[in-house]
Amino acid sequence: MTVLVVLLAVVVGLLTLLVVSLLRSHAEILRALHELGLNDVLDPDADERDGVRSDADIRTRPGVATPRSSDVRAASDLLGNTPDGGSLRVAVSGVDHSTLVAFLSTGCLTCANFWEAFADPDRRELPGADTRLVIVTKGLENESPARLEELAPRGVTLVASSSAWDDYEVPVAPYFLLVDGPEGAILGEGAAASWDQVQDLLGQAMADAGLDTKGGSSRRSRARGAQRVERADEELERAGILPGDPSLYPGGEPPEARP
Amino acid sequence: MRQRDTIEAFGLSANLPTGWDGAIFRREVDLESTAAEGVENPTLHLANFALPPNRGDFGSGAVEVMGRRGVLVCLVEYGDDSVGTALFDHRRPAELKADDFATHTLQRPQAGQGGQQQFFTENDRAFCLYTVIGSHRMRNVLTPVANEALAGIVIS
Repeated sequence: MTVLVVLLAVVVGLLTLLVVSLLRSHAEILRALHELGLNDVLDPDADERDGVRSDADIRTRPGVATPRSSDVRAASDLLGNTPDGGSLRVAVSGVDHSTLVAFLSTGCLTCANFWEAFADPDRRELPGADTRLVIVTKGLENESPARLEELAPRGVTLVASSSAWDDYEVPVAPYFLLVDGPEGAILGEGAAASWDQVQDLLGQAMADAGLDTKGGSSRRSRARGAQRVERADEELERAGILPGDPSLYPGGEPPEARP
Repeated sequence: MRQRDTIEAFGLSANLPTGWDGAIFRREVDLESTAAEGVENPTLHLANFALPPNRGDFGSGAVEVMGRRGVLVCLVEYGDDSVGTALFDHRRPAELKADDFATHTLQRPQAGQGGQQQFFTENDRAFCLYTVIGSHRMRNVLTPVANEALAGIVIS
């Protein structure tokens, strides 16, 4: 009987030790999550209850760009210089097409892959029926105009603009942004090491946004929408109906002509 | 993000309407094919569609891709020897009129398009203003669109 009691006491003691060590381990995990700033994991209802949200201290691997804050979503037109000192504005917002903005540098090693890819018209195929490629480098005060002229691919618009890098808070080169023209919004962005990677990511971003990636049929294909407008204009003109024609308005006259 | 509206170079500037592309550029003169030296005079292009990168001074390369609602404005400067000549002895038009456009004044004729050109001198600089609209039959609608862009051009 005494042996049994001693044995039970030993078992209880061991179990107590196990529970204590588990509690301690759990406490350490909670403390570590707090230090990482992942309060959402610890208390999912905290934001709703307290109305406060803290940013997590996210660290990326060396060489990988840190994600930007999620509130930078509106696109800004690209204003800068041509390599010969001219002035240029490329509208990316309030236009019918999407724009792929490629932030490149003449000096970075990874960018060399993209300069090379863009120089080949067969390789620079873009997702979407009407996506426009625009290369943006730092301003002429930071880039060699001669080197830019040497690298600038024929058939691709190039803007030298430090202000564009600032506007879009570009963290690293090469960096890519896909802008939806009609909405004036950034559909996707990120860094990549190869043109193939960028093409895959772009296709995904456009598909996620419900845009046509192949120029084929899609409910939200704005290229087709623009074509429809063109066709409608053409048909109406053939029928002798021009803009302002009374037959286009229920009251027989344009709204601005009515008293 | 703030929208950036004004391009400026070589004594020309343009405040662009929303959605317009614009460029002011100057070409290197090919010394093997001409007796001229240095660089050409500047050219300004404005368009309410995506300007292709390779274009002629008078819009070749762009007029081929513009839609029926497209408007292209080309302002081409001529040399000093043109200043004061009869051709350029006019003032810059304050605005264009729909009847200024014609289908036979196109530098590169494209079916259905309309064009107009006017030569003038301003601040002792000689220019040709050449404007193309995507549909001549829609000139009553497209002329005000062109005038909106023309109003933002400053020659200094």
